[in-house]
Amino acid sequence: QYERVGADVTMKCGSMDWDAAVTWTVNGTDINESHLNGSYLILKNVDLMQSGQYSCYEGSSWHLKYQTYLRVGTPPKEPVLMCRSNNYPKGFYCSWHLPTPTYIPNSFNISVIHGTKEMVCEKDAVPKNRCHIRYLQLFSTVKYKVTLTVTNALGKNFTTLTFDEFAIVKPDPPESVVAKPVPNNPRRLEVSWQNPSSWPDPESFPLKFFLRYRPLILDQWQHVELSDGTSHTITDAYAGKEYIIQVAAKDNDIGTWSDWSVAVHATPWTEEPKHLTTEAQITETTSASTSSFMAPPTTKICDKGAMVGSGAVAVCWTAGLVVAAYSVLFI
Amino acid sequence: GDSWGIFTFLCAALCNLPALPALNCSEELGAGQSIQQTYDLTRYLEHQLRTLAGTYLNYLGPPFNEPDFNPPRLAHAERVPSATVDLDLWRGLTDNARLAANYRAYSRLLCYLRVLDGQVGTAELRHRLAHFCASLQGLVLSIGGVMSSLGYPLPAGPPAPPGAPPASNDFLKKMDDFWLLKELQTWLWRSAKDFNRLKKKVPPAVVTLRLEARGF
Repeated sequence: QYERVGADVTMKCGSMDWDAAVTWTVNGTDINESHLNGSYLILKNVDLMQSGQYSCYEGSSWHLKYQTYLRVGTPPKEPVLMCRSNNYPKGFYCSWHLPTPTYIPNSFNISVIHGTKEMVCEKDAVPKNRCHIRYLQLFSTVKYKVTLTVTNALGKNFTTLTFDEFAIVKPDPPESVVAKPVPNNPRRLEVSWQNPSSWPDPESFPLKFFLRYRPLILDQWQHVELSDGTSHTITDAYAGKEYIIQVAAKDNDIGTWSDWSVAVHATPWTEEPKHLTTEAQITETTSASTSSFMAPPTTKICDKGAMVGSGAVAVCWTAGLVVAAYSVLFI
Repeated sequence: GDSWGIFTFLCAALCNLPALPALNCSEELGAGQSIQQTYDLTRYLEHQLRTLAGTYLNYLGPPFNEPDFNPPRLAHAERVPSATVDLDLWRGLTDNARLAANYRAYSRLLCYLRVLDGQVGTAELRHRLAHFCASLQGLVLSIGGVMSSLGYPLPAGPPAPPGAPPASNDFLKKMDDFWLLKELQTWLWRSAKDFNRLKKKVPPAVVTLRLEARGF
């Protein structure tokens, strides 16, 4: 037995008279007599918690006279329907869901009409609430009309989508995005990716790509649009900064951009220091005399324990050269 | 009756362009680059059409300018060769067939658009239509150029006059215009794909010299 949330429910004890003595239980627990009107059980303004097995027993003999399983729920609200072609020109799929749960079982029926023809949308096993259609013809002037009807014991609802073949084309994001530093190039990052595997024919239906990248420390993205090829070299990266990079795809001529790919992180190539701990920033306050006794301009200047402080490897290296220059001057 | 005769005459007159062979400059460029240029032209036209169609549909008024307007296709309205095609058939088209289908379609579409131009109300619309027709003419010539440089014969002469008499009432005439714009839009989408396919098959480096045909 299905009832709406907020409804008033009256349950009769089978064929028993109104004035018969009965006991009602819910899920095995006795129900207080205050809910009874004679032998009728009155439930006012039912809520979800009141779902359960209701039984009515004759007073003295404890014979089961009536039993019902009450399920409290709601009629379906207008469902949310989405159709998309991520495998153009093979076909498209539609998926749907209810905006709010009904708490009782629902059945879905989908119909696809193309001009005068009704097409069959084959339901997918996984995920549920999804079906797919194969295009019989390409480049159609007639729109597709998809109607989804949801029905349950308490009511029904529906929604319709009407679209052109071209309007719903949206590829899946590019796959296997890889970003690598370029040796000996501190401002470059080499990015490569692959066409999404769901796109069946990149030869005849080429994809174009949109790359976005930014250093982690900044909020603003830089963008590059690429009309072909599945790789690109970023040449204006900030040295030594870690970058986050994403790629999106779109059919060259129709439809919309895919979602962004999984983000990859990469840092441009930097000169490898011998020791990275306790790097020192060699200050110009180091006296000229001490500098003349300094070691020649190698990374040995950055020996741990020799200096205290912090600084980037690049600074250390440059500082070494500066010191060397001073040494030469004072010889 | 009379209107039918006038219509046929108009169409024949306006469409009786000589089937121009490739312009000299396209032969210097080579087939590959011409295909690229034709592709670019279709994208440009598609962009132009968006504005033109918006203006024209507003001129026709409701329901034609409503975004959800999805009327059934009346049988007699099939005057223009449709871009719609079976997927495997489309894939299997030879380069010649592919180019010829485009050439024929745009020649016909140009013809119908020019008739439209003569009938349309506002000066703004006439101006837009004229501009569009000029660009579309350029596309037809461009396709012809590609065909010539690849050694394919151009499809037969001016397009045949329409088989059905023009629409008898105002609403049906507007429907015809609506479908004409739709077919044009669909063809431009299809052509982008047609020329993508052709681009892959004809490398840009190919240069064909047809000096002998020019009488040099």
